[in-house]
Amino acid sequence: MTMLRSLAAAGALLSLSLLAACGSGGTEPAPSATASTVAAAPKIKIGVSVPAADHGWTAGVVWWAKEAMALNPDVEWLFQTAETPDKQIQDIENMMTQGVDGLVVLATESAPLTPIAKQAHENGILIVNVDRGFLEPVADIFLEGDNASFGRKSAEFIVDRLDGKGKVVILEGIPCTVNTARVDAAMEVFNANPGIEIVGRDTGMWNRQKSLDVMQNILVQAPEIDAVWASDDDMALGAEQAIVEAGRQDEMWILGGAGMKDIVKRVMDKDPMYPADITYPPSMIATGIQMAVSVLEDGNREEIMKFMPQHLLIDVELILPENAKRHYFPDSVF
Amino acid sequence: MSDAAAGSVAGSVVTRSPLARSLDLLQQYGVLVAFVGLFAFNAIWQGDAFLKPENLRNLLNQNAAVGIVAVGMTLVIVAGGIDLSVGAVMALAAAVGMLAMNGLAGMVDAEGAGQFVPLLAGFASAIGVGLACGALNGGLVTLGRIPAFIATLAGLIGFRSITLALAEGGEIRADQAITAVQAIGRDGLAIPGVVNAYDKPVVFYWTILLFLVVVVLGQLTLSRTRLGRHLVAVGSNELAARYSGVPVARVKLWSYTIVGFCAALGGIASTVRMNSVSSSQLGLYAELDAIAAVVIGGTSMTGGRGRVWGTLLGVLILVMITNMLSLWQVEVYWQGFVKGVIIVLAVLIQRGRAS
Repeated sequence: MTMLRSLAAAGALLSLSLLAACGSGGTEPAPSATASTVAAAPKIKIGVSVPAADHGWTAGVVWWAKEAMALNPDVEWLFQTAETPDKQIQDIENMMTQGVDGLVVLATESAPLTPIAKQAHENGILIVNVDRGFLEPVADIFLEGDNASFGRKSAEFIVDRLDGKGKVVILEGIPCTVNTARVDAAMEVFNANPGIEIVGRDTGMWNRQKSLDVMQNILVQAPEIDAVWASDDDMALGAEQAIVEAGRQDEMWILGGAGMKDIVKRVMDKDPMYPADITYPPSMIATGIQMAVSVLEDGNREEIMKFMPQHLLIDVELILPENAKRHYFPDSVF
Repeated sequence: MSDAAAGSVAGSVVTRSPLARSLDLLQQYGVLVAFVGLFAFNAIWQGDAFLKPENLRNLLNQNAAVGIVAVGMTLVIVAGGIDLSVGAVMALAAAVGMLAMNGLAGMVDAEGAGQFVPLLAGFASAIGVGLACGALNGGLVTLGRIPAFIATLAGLIGFRSITLALAEGGEIRADQAITAVQAIGRDGLAIPGVVNAYDKPVVFYWTILLFLVVVVLGQLTLSRTRLGRHLVAVGSNELAARYSGVPVARVKLWSYTIVGFCAALGGIASTVRMNSVSSSQLGLYAELDAIAAVVIGGTSMTGGRGRVWGTLLGVLILVMITNMLSLWQVEVYWQGFVKGVIIVLAVLIQRGRAS
């Protein structure tokens, strides 16, 4: 009985507070409306939601996002990192509650983030989607790295450097569309060159420890290796450790990917283990942020959106000792 | 541990000083005080952002799935048990439900009509899986005489593994023809006269309604039915309950079946919110959040005493903390630490009487 009574009390309290909230919610829009009619330009509000920095590349994303936001102090920024899709949905819900004008989103996963992105789109929020797309066309601008080009250019470099003849190991990332696009494009190049033999292929999950483990196994199985297509700099470092522990560092070299500053430095210093690297710039989040600002800042959104591209494919570049300086950011965390 | 608690209870009945009585009150209503305090603190500190109806609605919705599970968990814990497998059951039920739904997606025509049957089949099979898993846990605990902690730990590992195998480690998305999954997750009753920052109506999501209905039913079961009284009896003293003719095994079996049912409902709520079933993520750590909410809500971990409304407040307290930290832009890594501190504090306050 007492339980029921207290349940009722709790319910009453809840509904009271909800009522109070409705009251304040109802009157809330008025002052902001007058604020926008007053000449003083209202600050635009942009939410930035990205995955938490769980490996090098995402750490780079966070660093570049902060750089781009700092360059635009006139914008009111709401920045959140999320390690799960659920947290990211909550973050975006909170951003909408606070009335953001624009959202820059790098999705942790596509399917769970689609409904909330759709809701944001229906609310008229400008959505800039970076690198991982939604399942429905709800983003105003979508920019992503060109993963097929990543696979093709990296494989072509290996074929050229081996003069079309040699034994290659393939390290794959987490199974997903990004990995598939890269590996398929690379394999197309390798298969077109009969002199290239794939002597080992496994997944390093874009993770240093996992790559160390699988590379150890591959080293046991393959007596001769000329080059490792590691497709990621974290995986390259894991593979390198296995190679050095096996004492076979003079036998082969590695091509990683993504442009981690430590690797770029070693390319610059002509380290024989890393003759080159290939970019997949985490700075693309900054590109997206800057685009959102430029669309929203002067209230000419509709005019600007007439000529803004809706889908941008960012090409990747080979980093060689000659041009490494341009890709070397010693202050970046990545 | 349960002996010590029983002893102190007996002691306080004999000597009912005003101090003991106020400590009693604190133990009884501490969670309410904490809830009101946290609510007021948020309302004052964050002002408009927190009190916006949209925000309050989001708060309820964000943990509706875990909240539903926590209601079932309350009943199990009151009966002196524990269920660590709920998160895995959520995932398995949701995965089977989604596969059943997608299997019948052919019934949907080009205009999207005919989604009702696949949807119903999906929900029904999810609930069926939940009931079956719960009954299995209950059977292991009662007939198999395996301690609940071990039996359901095996469930946590085993059910998750089946889910991962079903989805090959990835996520199961709703078939494109079945648009209703997404729609249910983002639909509900429009709250009259309330609009968001973009002048669109704010809706009270179906999942929140489901959560509140489960809370009311859970509380009624516990305080108004014979099963509820039996749960309390089994939890406070199993031997005494058996001697007084309570069908102990059947009562325990029911408690695990109910929590399995709640886990399935939670899995469904999570599915419609996430528009997909992630075999590795859905329900991950839900058992811990649910147990935390139950403990904060004032239910005794040793059984025999508990209340569902307290669990509701426990869920809301956890949600408010997360929301507060998120609005303060506290890095996500620190949120678990704050939650841990709150849980310890809650237990310490509620044990006030014993000290």
